[in-house]
Amino acid sequence: MEPKLIDHLFRHHYGKMVSVLTRIFGLSHLETIEDAVQDTFVKATLSWKKKPPQNPEAWLTKAAKNRVLDIFRKLNSERKRVPQVSASQDAMAVNDLFLDSEIADSQLRMIFTACHPSLSKSDRIAFSLRTISGFNATEIASALLSKEETIKKRLSRARKTIQKKNILFKIPVGEELPRRIESVLEVLYLIFNEGFHSNRTDILVRTELCGEAMRLCQILLKNPKTRAADCYALFALMCFHSARLDSKVSKEQEIIDLEYQDRSTWHVPFIHLGNEAMNKAVINNRFSHYHYEAAIASEHIKAPSYKDTNWQKILMWYNKLYQMQPSAITALHIAIVQIQLQNYKEANQLLINIEPASLGKRAYLYYGVMAENYKEQNKIEKALLSLELAINIVVNNAEREYLIKKKLKFQS
Amino acid sequence: MKEFMMIFIGADYAALGLSPEELQGRMGKWFAWGEKMEKEGVLRGGNALEPDVRRISGQERTVTDMASAEVKELIGGYYLVAANNFDEVEKIAQDFPDFDLGGTVEIREIMVFDR
Repeated sequence: MEPKLIDHLFRHHYGKMVSVLTRIFGLSHLETIEDAVQDTFVKATLSWKKKPPQNPEAWLTKAAKNRVLDIFRKLNSERKRVPQVSASQDAMAVNDLFLDSEIADSQLRMIFTACHPSLSKSDRIAFSLRTISGFNATEIASALLSKEETIKKRLSRARKTIQKKNILFKIPVGEELPRRIESVLEVLYLIFNEGFHSNRTDILVRTELCGEAMRLCQILLKNPKTRAADCYALFALMCFHSARLDSKVSKEQEIIDLEYQDRSTWHVPFIHLGNEAMNKAVINNRFSHYHYEAAIASEHIKAPSYKDTNWQKILMWYNKLYQMQPSAITALHIAIVQIQLQNYKEANQLLINIEPASLGKRAYLYYGVMAENYKEQNKIEKALLSLELAINIVVNNAEREYLIKKKLKFQS
Repeated sequence: MKEFMMIFIGADYAALGLSPEELQGRMGKWFAWGEKMEKEGVLRGGNALEPDVRRISGQERTVTDMASAEVKELIGGYYLVAANNFDEVEKIAQDFPDFDLGGTVEIREIMVFDR
């Protein structure tokens, strides 16, 4: 029996090795390091074609270790400024850096570097997916639904900013730490949302992005220094959402509304994991928007059926979320909840105060909710007009299909 | 039973810039293929080749060192298999994982000399 490789072994190992080598050689040699690591994987692929080694991970780590000297020579020959790691003196120290605990430490450093507030948000996301998660530019572009050229530009801009601002490859300490953790969580939240809310029906890509965000969040949770309450709350939120990721898209590649999702397919281990994280998140009674969002997601998960949802409680959490972070999309969600509670007037009041344009690409949702509110009040004609508006501006095909189906239902 | 060589040409992973994830996927296909041939008892040997090439040619024995990118049709490796004829090997070659990357399989029969 051939040993089967763990899913994403190469991708994850890529991130680990780039981090460790960066700790040795410094951020200024990142490109050389990335090339060297990439080369290791090409070599592994070629030499493993016939038979993989008994312990693939150890093989890869050893190969990366061997790369240390190669990189050292290469940088020397290019007369680049090389850090003081003379091979003999620090051979032991270099060896230690490949221990599991030190690999985790290096990865954490890379996470804080990639999510540094000096980088723009979009650069942070691209750079994280590249250097920590081991995606290449093509994969990032397809995951984020953008052009490969755009991603390449973001990556090179991120590298330049890191140089120019002289960003250190360190886990921040003291007063700086909470602020920097916040910045990391924001990026992980965005990566997760790209997967969860992207409305794409390609479940594979969605699962990969969500899985990566969760994996990185776990790296933070493993270290006592970075194990913040907000981090637990974000992880809980990701767990609750992930539990029902598969049930969001049907076999026919159609989006399924929460109302019609098959709750028996929700992934129970994720729900338990989420509950556990949530318990740890509320210990010091200081709540972030992740706490409220996780609380809302948890209410949905708790409900045995859509009609048994505790909308009153969800409304309370949404209101708290809105107080902390007023936004059009939260207001829209509150309107949805009000419709469920049959408070159509309140829903209407909320809706007229929202500027659809401020929702960007999600403006179609606004008209969808508007239609729902009219329909519940038996104003079918107005409902159909709103749906028409939604259909006209929706970009995603699966969503359009969904809205068209809804329109047919309203007409019958 | 005769012996044939399947020579793999093109589809240079390093030059194509495949991602770690894609590389792992490719490798899985190579495993599966190798395993299948082994199960069927047709595999006789094979090797992957390093991409660096040193070419010596002509009366003058001119030496050229080439990087893989400079070689138009780089040979990446070969398998030796036992089969009765070309058609059987052609069938085996259907599972070659790199056709989609522009790779080619060249089938050659091993020559047997009379004693």
